[in-house]
Amino acid sequence: MSAPLTRTAAEDLLYREALLIDTQRFAEWLELFTPEVEFWMPAWRDENSVTEDPDRELSLIYYKGRRNLEDRVMRLTSGLSVASLPLPRAVHQVTNVMVLGADEVSATVSAAFTCHRFDVRMGRTDCFFGRYEYRLAWHSDAWLIARKKILLLNDTIPTVVDINVI
Amino acid sequence: MDVTRFVDDRPEAGVFRVNRAIFTDETVFNREIVRIFEGGWVFLGIASQAENPHDFFTTTMGRVPVIVQRDGEGALRGFVNSCPHKGARLAQTRQGNARLHVCPYHSWSFDSAGRSKAVKSQSAGCYSAAFEQSDHGLAALPRFEAYRGFLFGSMAANVPPLADYLGEAAKLLDLVADQSKEGLELVPGQVTFTYQANWKLQLENCSDAYHFTSAHPSYIRVLERRQKEASADVVASVWENSDYWKEEAQGVAGGSYSFANGHVLNWGIFGITPAIPLYESAGELAERLGEAKRDWMFNMRNLTIFPNLQVAENASSQLRVIRPLAPGLTEMRTWCIAPKGESAAARRQRIRQYEDFFNPTGMATPDDTVSYENCQIGYGGTVEPWLQGYARGMTAAVEGGNRFSQRLGMTPERSVLADAQLCDETLFHSYYRAWAQRMAGDEAA
Repeated sequence: MSAPLTRTAAEDLLYREALLIDTQRFAEWLELFTPEVEFWMPAWRDENSVTEDPDRELSLIYYKGRRNLEDRVMRLTSGLSVASLPLPRAVHQVTNVMVLGADEVSATVSAAFTCHRFDVRMGRTDCFFGRYEYRLAWHSDAWLIARKKILLLNDTIPTVVDINVI
Repeated sequence: MDVTRFVDDRPEAGVFRVNRAIFTDETVFNREIVRIFEGGWVFLGIASQAENPHDFFTTTMGRVPVIVQRDGEGALRGFVNSCPHKGARLAQTRQGNARLHVCPYHSWSFDSAGRSKAVKSQSAGCYSAAFEQSDHGLAALPRFEAYRGFLFGSMAANVPPLADYLGEAAKLLDLVADQSKEGLELVPGQVTFTYQANWKLQLENCSDAYHFTSAHPSYIRVLERRQKEASADVVASVWENSDYWKEEAQGVAGGSYSFANGHVLNWGIFGITPAIPLYESAGELAERLGEAKRDWMFNMRNLTIFPNLQVAENASSQLRVIRPLAPGLTEMRTWCIAPKGESAAARRQRIRQYEDFFNPTGMATPDDTVSYENCQIGYGGTVEPWLQGYARGMTAAVEGGNRFSQRLGMTPERSVLADAQLCDETLFHSYYRAWAQRMAGDEAA
C-alpha cells in the first residue's frame, strides 16, 4: 500500500523513464514495467481516429508482457540490426503530466511527449510527438508501469520508429 | 531511351546486369512516372475499401490523384480526384462515404457516379453556349477494372484488358482471394512509411530470398530465444516451424516463378502448421478448392504485380502499395490483408504476427528499408556502374513451370526450383525486362 500517487511522483517516474531510454540504460528501463505490462501504440484507422481493439484492428506496436519488450531491447542492442546501428540519439520531452485518477494501488496518468531523434546514419533529424496514457501499479515498494499507451500523432513513419523514440 | 544503357540483358552470354543509374537518374525517374505509373495498369486498392454504397477511397497513380468511388447502385468507378473547375483536390480524406462531393474551393458538386450535380450560380454565370454544352463531371480514369476484388486503373487507354495484363499471375491472386468464401478485407489500421531510396528496391527486396539470414539476424536471434524460452505472452511465428530460410536446410525448399509483364513470385514451403492463422480452415479449403490449392495457400508467398502491388504472405499477410516520390524517395502504404470471417483467435494471431515482423515499428521491415537506403547511398559510386545482383540461379532457371506450378494449373514464363541456399535472383530479370519494354522508344516521355 502506498499513498495515492501525486503529480510530482508521476513526473518523477515519467522523467526517469525518459532519461533511462534516452541514455540507453535499457535494462533499468525494463525494470520500470510490470511483468504483465500492456505496451501499445495504436495505428490510425482514418484521419480522425486510432484503432481501439488491438485484437481486431492493427496497431503500430502491441505487446502484452514485459518479455516482449525484452525481445525488442535484445534486438535493438544486439549489434545485428542494421537499422539500429548506430543507435539514434534521442531526447524525450515529457510534459502536461496529469494524474487523472489515483488510489493506494493504482493510478491513471496522461502526458504529452515530443521526441527528437538524430539518425546518425543518415545525418537526419526527425521529431515524433503525441500523448501518453499510463496506468501505474504499486508493486511492494515502487510505482511500476502496468500499461503504456502511446498515441503517435505524426504517423507517416520516416523509415523506422523503434521503441526508443516513442 | 536506349534501355541497354540501364539493363544489360544477354542470356546467350549468361549476363544480366543492371546499371546503378536506373535507381538514381532523374530522367529515368520522370520517364518511369509517365511510362509505367501513368502509362499502364497500376493497382489502386481492393473492393472492400469501398464496400457500401457511396463509399470511396483515394490513392495516386504516378502524380495523378485518384478517387475510387462506389455509386448508389453499387458500381465502382475510378476518377481523377480533381475538380474540373480549378483543379482543386476534391476528396480530402483517404476514405469516406459521400453521396455528393462538393469542391471546397467553389462548391461545384458531383454525385457518387462522378456526374456533375451543380455548378454554383450557373444561371447567373453568363456562361457561353460552349460551356453550357460541355460536361462538367469528373474525369474518369481511361481504364478501370477489377480482378477478384483487386482494383486497377490505367491512365493510358490503349492497354490490354486487365486479365491479359495479369496473365497466369492472376492464379496467385486467386490464392489470396479464395481463402474465404466471403472474400478479402483490410484489417482496420493503415500504416504509411517512407524510405530514402528508389521504389525498385522495394520491388526487388520482396522477391529476394538471399537477404533474409543476412539482413535479419537480429530477428532470427529473437526467434531462437522464443523457441528456447517458450511463453504464452509471445506470438507463435511461422518462421519457427519452417526450415525453408535456414542456411543449413536440405532439399527442395521453394523457388521462384516469373511471368510476363513483370509479375513475379518467390515462395517457400511452410507446411500446414497452426502457426499460420489459416490453419483453422485447412479442412474446409481442401474440400472447397482441392488439396493442391489448399497446400499452396500454406506456402510462403511473396507476390509482386508490377509495378506497385505486393502481397506478402510469410510472417503474416501484408498488402503493400508502392508509390515513387523521387528517385531517392518512396512511400509505402501497407495493410494487413485477411480473409473475411476468420475466427477471433486467428485474426488476433495474424495481427500480432504482422506487427512483430512487418511494421516500420516492427522487428524486420526496418532492417530492409535501411538496407535500401544504404544501397541508394552506394549507388553514388559509379566507378563500376553495373551491379552484380542478378546472377544467382542463372543455370537453374528453366522455361515454363514445374511440378509445383502444375498443381495450380499455372504456367509461368520461367521457374526455378530451389534448395534453401540457391536464393534465385533471376526472377528480378522479369521486372527489368518489363521495365525495358515500357521504357524503350524514342518519344520524349
